[in-house]
Amino acid sequence: MSLLWLRVAVILYGIAALAVLPAALYDRPRWRHIAVPAALGGVFFHFVSIVETLIAAHRALPVDTHEALSWLGLLLAAAFLLLAVRFRTVSFGIFLLPVAVLLAIVPAFHPGNETLASPQLGLQLRTGWLLLHIALLLAAYAALFLSLVASLLYLIQERRLKQKASIRTPRLPPLETLDQIALKALLFGLPCMTAGLLIGSVLALETTGPAFFADPKVLLSLAMWIVYMLMIFIRRQSGLRGRRAVYLSSFVFLGVLAVWAANSLSAVHRFKTP
Amino acid sequence: MSHKPNSNPAESSSLLLLGVNHTTAPVEVRERLAIPTERLADATRTLAGQPGVREALILSTCNRVELLTVQDHTNHEPPLTSDAPGIGMLRFLEQYLHVRVIDIQPHVYEHREREAIRHLFRVASSLDSMVVGEPQILGQVKQSWSVAREVGAIKSTDSLSSTLDPLLQRAFSVAKRVRTETRIGSSTVSIASVAAELARKIFGSLAGKTVLLVGAGKMSDLTARHLIQNGCTTLLVSNRTSERAEAIAAALRSPAAAGVVTGVVPFEQLHHQSHRADIVITSTGAGQVFTTLEARALLQRRRNRPVFFIDIAVPRDVDPAVNGLEGCFVYDIDDLQQVAAQNQTVRGRETEAAESIVSHEVARYSDRLAQAPATESIKQLLLDAEATRQAEIARLTAHQTLSAEQLAAIDRLTRSLTAKLLHPQLARLRADLREPGDDTD
Repeated sequence: MSLLWLRVAVILYGIAALAVLPAALYDRPRWRHIAVPAALGGVFFHFVSIVETLIAAHRALPVDTHEALSWLGLLLAAAFLLLAVRFRTVSFGIFLLPVAVLLAIVPAFHPGNETLASPQLGLQLRTGWLLLHIALLLAAYAALFLSLVASLLYLIQERRLKQKASIRTPRLPPLETLDQIALKALLFGLPCMTAGLLIGSVLALETTGPAFFADPKVLLSLAMWIVYMLMIFIRRQSGLRGRRAVYLSSFVFLGVLAVWAANSLSAVHRFKTP
Repeated sequence: MSHKPNSNPAESSSLLLLGVNHTTAPVEVRERLAIPTERLADATRTLAGQPGVREALILSTCNRVELLTVQDHTNHEPPLTSDAPGIGMLRFLEQYLHVRVIDIQPHVYEHREREAIRHLFRVASSLDSMVVGEPQILGQVKQSWSVAREVGAIKSTDSLSSTLDPLLQRAFSVAKRVRTETRIGSSTVSIASVAAELARKIFGSLAGKTVLLVGAGKMSDLTARHLIQNGCTTLLVSNRTSERAEAIAAALRSPAAAGVVTGVVPFEQLHHQSHRADIVITSTGAGQVFTTLEARALLQRRRNRPVFFIDIAVPRDVDPAVNGLEGCFVYDIDDLQQVAAQNQTVRGRETEAAESIVSHEVARYSDRLAQAPATESIKQLLLDAEATRQAEIARLTAHQTLSAEQLAAIDRLTRSLTAKLLHPQLARLRADLREPGDDTD
């Protein structure tokens, strides 16, 4: 049943992702009346699906990559709704919703059957700390992606204003709003990432010992955290905006992807098929 | 003064609208007829108290003065000519505002019944405004309606004799429909409003933003005023002569712009202080007041926060190359005019769609009004028949004791008989209701 709800959520995300295009790109604001409720429905069914899965499996954590990706999709869709309510804009949906669809479609139609490699960690699956570790890092990833999207939209809006194109279409938020969203997303993501990494490190020290810090994924994660912090520092100090902000955000985002991909090199985070 | 005859002469009341607007009367006439807000309640009460007037509303804005009334034909002698109520309203203007009928009559338009409904719907939807699509008019109509209700010149919709209240409510929903289903109000067409709209695209809310006015000119003053009206809170003025700058700042420090801080920037200090401004309006005509060099320095001092240059001068004050710098947005007078022209084109297209909505709504509302008497007749006929049937059954049961089965059979029989006897009359009335009006545009 939980897969059914996830599939419903994917379909609703898909509808929202399509409806957001005329609303944001072709100045057809009435389409937002389809996009926002569809995304809201998607988030609801996605949440129901996750809760059902966890209850059925008698655990409180996603244990495979697909599930973790699905959680990230939920966070991105929720971020879209939050921005639609707070800033009355659906433009972010152009990027956030298709990614949410992609992240949720794999677990919906091809559920993973992986488990965590470490047996000791398996024992800790019911602990809230591990849940917090995963949730905080996923929130940090979502915030970083949101910041990248905001920077991209800033670039598009800036170009349009400079080219003196029709000021009416597409409907994008004002530059300052986009800049604020980009910065606030980063400022939200930093404590999430810091706390997530700290919790993960303490848990790993308890189970793996100091050898944990030689793990490539852990090293990459720490490097990314430093870059993340540097990015915020540069943005705040120099007021970095526009093209250069997009380059910087893209660079950090690539770093995040590298950290994610490092699962295959990690002894701690590697998933295996039972 | 032109008018259409009353389409429903048999009815006990008729709708009459009389007024002047920016297309029929010059400002000298409009200002003599304008009724200030503080006198609106008294004027509306006085108009409603005129002989033959059952309900009344006065709409008085800078571009129009209109009197909308429901003329009552039940308690008064019918007018000798169909012009009489209009003349009566002109007499009201003459007495209340001390203007001569002969002076205003050539500028006055008059609409009755269906045309009055159409005119009201068009006014509320901002299709009859000087700047089509401007949003203020709906608020002004609502204010007039509210005043008229307060003084009892418009009866509540609950009252059976109310005509204006449902009509006004309908006008508001038509205006809302026009605004949501078309993009008539989404594009601005004046240079000053285009500049404000562009500023909002950059800064979002203009609250707390600083405007720097460099040089003097009617258009730049107007743009600065518009930006202040849109929320900018600090206005800096820079001019070659400091006295002139002080005078401009004082002129822009209007009572309406309470809370706005103004200041003067010495012209020689312009490049050192221009970073304080988020929006720079230039109109010196001296050429190249801001080059890329100065703009770069300005951006550096602003820590790359965006700055919007509105260059109204000819020759231009801001080097076009400044627009190439990240964070600088330069719009000269041609750019602004081009945007305004684009918006005007869009607005023209949307006006057609809006007119179509209004026509459709006028037809619906007129049909409903026309059908109201027939609907009432059907209701009354059914009520009378049922009362007669019940009375006959009561008379029968008073003389005879009947079983429950017999009573049920009599009930069925009388119902069936009543329905069959009434059928021809009801069919005729319903046919009248269904008959399409001749008013589809």
